[in-house]
Amino acid sequence: MDYAIQQGLNALAFGSEYALIALGLALVYSIMNLMNFAHGEIIACAGYSMYLAILIGIGSPWLVAPIAIAAGALVAVLFERIAFRPVRHAPTTTGLLTALGVSIVVQNLLTLLISPRPRAVPVFSELSRTIFIGPYAISLLQLLELAVVALAIGGLVLFLKHSTLGLAIRAATREFSTVRLMGIRANRVIATAFALSGLLAGIAAIFIIARRGSIDPTFGFQPVIKAFIACVIGGFGSLGGAVLGGMLLGFLDVAIIVLLPQEYGGLRDAIAYSIIAGLLVWRPEGLLTRRIELGDKEI
Amino acid sequence: MLSVNRLSVHYGPIRALDAASIRIGRGEFVALLGPNGAGKTSLISGIAGLVRAQGRVLFEDREIGALPTEDRVRRGLTMTPEGRHVFANLTVAENLRLGAAIRRDREGVAQDIEKYLGLFPILRERNHQLAGTLSGGEQQMLAIARSMMSRPRLLMLDEPSLGLAPRIVAQMFDYISLLKEAGVTLLVVEQNVMQALKHADRAYVISSGIIRHEGKAEELRSDRRLIDMYLGN
Amino acid sequence: MSVTTQTRSAQKTLAPWMRSLVGGLVTALPVILIGIVILLFAPAYLVRVAFAAYVNLLIVLGLQIFMGNSMVANLGQGAFVGIGAYSVAILATPVAMKKLSIPDAPFGLADIVLHPALAAGAGLGITGLIAALTGLVIARLSGEAATIVTFSLMMVVHSIFIQWTDLFKGAQAFFGIPQVVGLATAIGAATLATIIARLFKDSASGLHLRASAESLLAARAFGVDVFRLRLLAWILGAVICASGGILYAFFMGTINARAFHFELVMTTLAMLILGGMRTVSGAVFGCIALALLLEAIRSVESGIAVAGFQLPPLLGLSGLAMGAIIVLGMTFRPRGIFVRLELDELLWRLFARRQPRAITEGKPI
Ligand SMILES: Nc1ncnc2c1ncn2[C@@H]1O[C@H](COP(=O)(O)OP(=O)(O)OP(=O)(O)O)[C@@H](O)[C@H]1O
Ligand SMILES: [Mg+2]
Repeated sequence: MDYAIQQGLNALAFGSEYALIALGLALVYSIMNLMNFAHGEIIACAGYSMYLAILIGIGSPWLVAPIAIAAGALVAVLFERIAFRPVRHAPTTTGLLTALGVSIVVQNLLTLLISPRPRAVPVFSELSRTIFIGPYAISLLQLLELAVVALAIGGLVLFLKHSTLGLAIRAATREFSTVRLMGIRANRVIATAFALSGLLAGIAAIFIIARRGSIDPTFGFQPVIKAFIACVIGGFGSLGGAVLGGMLLGFLDVAIIVLLPQEYGGLRDAIAYSIIAGLLVWRPEGLLTRRIELGDKEI
Repeated sequence: MLSVNRLSVHYGPIRALDAASIRIGRGEFVALLGPNGAGKTSLISGIAGLVRAQGRVLFEDREIGALPTEDRVRRGLTMTPEGRHVFANLTVAENLRLGAAIRRDREGVAQDIEKYLGLFPILRERNHQLAGTLSGGEQQMLAIARSMMSRPRLLMLDEPSLGLAPRIVAQMFDYISLLKEAGVTLLVVEQNVMQALKHADRAYVISSGIIRHEGKAEELRSDRRLIDMYLGN
Repeated sequence: MSVTTQTRSAQKTLAPWMRSLVGGLVTALPVILIGIVILLFAPAYLVRVAFAAYVNLLIVLGLQIFMGNSMVANLGQGAFVGIGAYSVAILATPVAMKKLSIPDAPFGLADIVLHPALAAGAGLGITGLIAALTGLVIARLSGEAATIVTFSLMMVVHSIFIQWTDLFKGAQAFFGIPQVVGLATAIGAATLATIIARLFKDSASGLHLRASAESLLAARAFGVDVFRLRLLAWILGAVICASGGILYAFFMGTINARAFHFELVMTTLAMLILGGMRTVSGAVFGCIALALLLEAIRSVESGIAVAGFQLPPLLGLSGLAMGAIIVLGMTFRPRGIFVRLELDELLWRLFARRQPRAITEGKPI
């Protein structure tokens, strides 16, 4: 029983991390049909901002964390301004390849300027403590992760529901040019969506660092692949779908680790991806998409 | 108020609008008539800046041809697009709020919302319903009300009667006339020639991307030959 | 308008399939010429580099056949390259060698050996079969679902390579494959594949498939069996990808599952999209351009002497440059180098445009 709860919490923690990243991807995708492969590098940049912060002597986690979040948002906006704006109206494959290009550039810049080897970022070691709630031993990190992700998603929902820019982002997912007819600047809407996605990526970076304790240039790659899949399973472009997909993937990961006998460990990926492919063959549009119309994306 | 000088619109090799010139005075209600594919949408999209266009567009004596759509809207010129381009995944109330996105006067916005909910009572009933679930006519009312929320001085409506039942069409035109009385200058694209000519002051007739005729609405209404030739009634 | 009519009339003398054949040859011309130059003059290490580039070209062409015509994304080509390569590795490697490397191979595979040509045929057949089976599912998908399912396919196949050590030697290199092909074979194969890709694109199947990419509903309404056509393109593309893998194995003599993974997929995808995925010329020139650029940068990266100074190796430089090329390429040519027309069609146009001018210039009135 104890074990089951422990693993359930594990799954929730993994899932919420995927959900956080997937939400960022879905936000950007839903307003400009861009599969942002470079999202992983936003996470990596946020991670390296923490490394640099420590390097110049900022040691308090209370300062380092906001720096990472701000760095994530900033880098995301920069990517949009420099690389994605010119291909805004191009076919989806063009956006995809541009994102891939950005991702390659940033990974190699980090390799060149910092190091191809992992660097320690020991700022959140406090968090790996275990605390006891009643009879259960629970990792502080996981608890915090759950709480923060819930807060972040809640904040995002509030923003999207109540601020004008939030409303505009939701409206723009279907009717981009009509949003412009409201006098709302298209560039502002897109930049805001990128900033939000970067913000979420920054939060994700903090937790990944807290768990791993170190960073390398390909830091963001694995989580983003997973988040991508989460998005597609959930229904690409649907924010609820991104969260659902992320959670599902978290549970799938943990279930495979728990249920698969040790000697077949190498088949973990094979099984995970088979299930994912099966899911998509069953529901190609994802679990939550209501694809009434994708709206006009020309302007 | 608006003066369009030799405006042309191309889509790749297709010339949708060929050096069209129109003028609209303050407070006028002008109809833009023409068969399908004539270039009506292209003309007003060009004026609104939604498509790239060559030529000059003067709005309140200032050249706006180089401005992006957003800035034209901020200067008081807006357009309600053809078809039901309401924000389907937002509620009626949220649609109206977005319509007022560029305004900073909270009270004025609240008053305007009240005003249009009063004008279109059905929208008040549906206030917290998703716009995508409204009927076609209700969506059209919402689209017009939403455009009005930015307090435009010139409003261009693209086929406001599209897909509406005849009785609702007449009602729609009554509403549009109310806007005119409120001091808004109107450029209305219509297939519904007779209804449009009944309410408009003046009309332009366009076909194959070229402005063919311009005149007072009453005169046009009695000119059967012209109507047959271009509008095929 | 008039230009196209002239192009038509200029080309009218040839039957349509002949025109495609000639077009394919024109497109393949640089492939052949560069190959011959390298065969004649280049040092051995360049031959290796060129060979890898020709293998990539085969993969890019395989990718073009499916993606370029159906406009459905495919991130799974690495699986078929790997299946081709491992098929011949397992079938053609001498028994003595296999006793060392995979003594416990199932189905008695450790005790048989096939002639390389036979093994290659079997490799293509196995790939075709697996492609047919996976295609039954994938040909029904499009959009993001296709992207992820094809990617999943590659991940699954890769895991199997790694996990099934008795057969594939797992994460270790599979060695001892007979080295029976040279650059000339690769050039021949690439030329052939270019022509096949072009013939397919211009065939009725290719045409219908491209029409379905423009509008799925319209194509269905006209009775086009989109599923069957996609399946066909998927299998054909997979087999051509596998031929790349087979040549690679027979040239290198040693293969490793890592070579058929994400990096290969991304490189070949970048080549295709940069070149323009709708055209065979795009596949060919995207591959040539990126291969040349990458090689040039790689030599800088490993540290070269400039004006007597030895520059230190700059790790990451080639990646940086490749990424930058991709971003810039997409910024300035969002639809690739060859957007819609093939090289020969562009040449025809140029020719057709020149012709009348030459006549008028020749005869002043
Ligand atoms: N985005 C586009 N791309 C290519 N051609 C277009 C595009 N939009 C319009 N056209 C073409 O331009 C011409 C004029 O179109 P436009 O929409 O302005 O006509 P319209 O008068 O509004 O017609 P309708 O009454 O049917 O709405 C048509 O021939 C149309 O096919
Ligand atoms: Mg129209």
